[in-house]
Amino acid sequence: MAHVDTTHAPAEHEPAAHPPAHEEETTTGISHRKLLMWVFLGSDCLFFGSLIATYMVYRGQSIVGPYPIDIIDVPVTTISTFVLLMSSFTMVMAVAAARNGNQRRLIQWLVCTIILGGGFIGFQVYEFNLFRVEGLRYETNLFSSTFFTLTGFHGAHVTLGIFWLICLAVISARNPAGRPSGEDVDIAGLYWHFVDIVWIVIFTLLYLIGGFDSGPDAGHAAAQGWQWITGIFT
Amino acid sequence: MSSNPGHEGALPHEEHGSHEDAGISRFFFGRVPAGVHGGLKQYGILAIFLAIITLIEFLIIVPEGLQGSSIVIAPLVILSVIKFFCVVAFFMHLKFENELLWQIFVAGLVLGLVVALALVLLFGVFRPTPRAFSEPRAMPFEHHAAEEEHHYEALVVPTPCPVGACPQPAAPGANPGAAASPGQALFVGAAACSSCHTISGVAQGVLGPPLDGIGSAAANRIPGQSAEDYIRESILEPDVYAAGTADGLSQDYDGNLMLSTMAGILPSLSDEDIDNLVDYLLSLQ
Repeated sequence: MAHVDTTHAPAEHEPAAHPPAHEEETTTGISHRKLLMWVFLGSDCLFFGSLIATYMVYRGQSIVGPYPIDIIDVPVTTISTFVLLMSSFTMVMAVAAARNGNQRRLIQWLVCTIILGGGFIGFQVYEFNLFRVEGLRYETNLFSSTFFTLTGFHGAHVTLGIFWLICLAVISARNPAGRPSGEDVDIAGLYWHFVDIVWIVIFTLLYLIGGFDSGPDAGHAAAQGWQWITGIFT
Repeated sequence: MSSNPGHEGALPHEEHGSHEDAGISRFFFGRVPAGVHGGLKQYGILAIFLAIITLIEFLIIVPEGLQGSSIVIAPLVILSVIKFFCVVAFFMHLKFENELLWQIFVAGLVLGLVVALALVLLFGVFRPTPRAFSEPRAMPFEHHAAEEEHHYEALVVPTPCPVGACPQPAAPGANPGAAASPGQALFVGAAACSSCHTISGVAQGVLGPPLDGIGSAAANRIPGQSAEDYIRESILEPDVYAAGTADGLSQDYDGNLMLSTMAGILPSLSDEDIDNLVDYLLSLQ
C-alpha cells in the first residue's frame, strides 16, 4: 500500500516536472481548464439526460421484435460494467501518480485504463453485432433506434476517452521531464469518470430495469414481483 | 484566493496535499482540507465497494420472479445513485474541490433530470405498458436460429419453425379453446396457420398473406375457379398460385415457403380437418 507514496524521489530529479507555481491566478481560484471541463460535463448531463429520456418514453412502444427481453444479456453487461468501473479505479490511480510526479506509475496506470476501456468497447462491439445478427438493426423498432443512439453515443465517448488516454500515455513516455502535468491527467480523468457514471445510469435503466421489457404483453411482469416475494413466505 | 476559508488553496498546493495521508475514515466521511487526495488504499476500498454494489444490483434481478418487476426499481435506483455520487465525490474528487464546481455540475445534472422527468411524466411511462397505438399492433418475436447468422436474407424472411418447435403466437383476446368453429380451432391450433397468417382478432402471423375477407376474395383470384376450390388448392398445393400485389396485397408472397412449411403438417390433417379449414376460411367475408 505504502509503495505508491514514492513521491520524494522524482522531486529530487525533476524539481520542475509539475510546477504548481505555474498555475495562473483566476478569480474563482479554479483553473480555467478544469472549470471548462466541469461546465462541459454539466452540459453532457443534459445531452445524455435527453437521450435516456427518449429511450424511457419509447419503452414498450415497439410493435415488432426483437424486444429487450429477447436479446438483452444482463450477465455479460454486468461484466462489462465491472470492467468500466475498474477502469475508473485505474484512472484515479493514474491521476494520483501524475500528481505525485511518478511518470512510470502514470504510464502503467494509463495503460491499464486504456486496456480496460478497450475491453468495454469490445463488449459493446460484441453486443451490437449480436443484436444485428438477431435482426435488431438501427431502424428495426423504437427500442433499437433509441437504444443504439444512447449506447452508441456513450461508446463514442468511451472511444474518444481511449484516444485521449493513449495521447497522454505517449506524451508521458516520450517526454518524462515535462508534460503531461498533474492537471492534464486530472482533466482527462474527469472526462473518463463521467463516462463511467453515465454508464452506471444506462446499466441500471436499460439493462437491470428495462432489459426485461417484452413486446405485446409488456407490463405483465411489472406486477409479478410482489407475488414472487409473498411466494417465498407462503 | 477565495474569501471562503474552506476553499483556500484549492488549487496551487495539490502536490503537498498528496503527501498527506487523509486517513480512510477522514477521507470518506470527514472534512478534509482542499487539495487532499487519496491513494491506493482509499481508492482501492472505494473500487471494491462499487464492485460489491454492482454485484448486489445483479443479484437483485437474478430471481426470475423479480425480473422486470416494478418493485426492484427503487432499490436499483438507490444503489445506482450511491454508485454515481461515490464516483463523482471521490474518483472525480469533487468532495475536495471548490464549491463552484459542485454547483456547475449539479446544475447540469438537475436540468438533465428535470428534462428526463418531464418527458417521462408527460407520457406517463413509468411502466413499459404499450400505449393505444402500439398495443393492438405489437407482434410477438421469435428467435432466429443461430446458424442463420451468416445469411442476411434469413433476417428479412425468417425460416419457418419446425412443427411444434415454436410457441404459437397468441393473439390478444383470442382463446383457441373457445374457437368459434372447428376450422378456427385448427387454424390457431394443430394446423398452425396462425404462425404465418393474419386474421383480425384471431391470428397475427406475418410471413404469409393476411386472410381477412379471403372467403370473398378467393373467388376473384384465379378466373374460373370457385372460392372453395381456390382455398382448398392454396392449402394443399400452395405453390400453384401465390397471392401478391396483383391481388391488392402489400407484397408478393412465396408459395414455396408455405409448401415447405406445410410438408410437415399436412400429413397430420385428415380430410375432415381440411374441409373444416376451408369452411372456416370461406366464412371470412
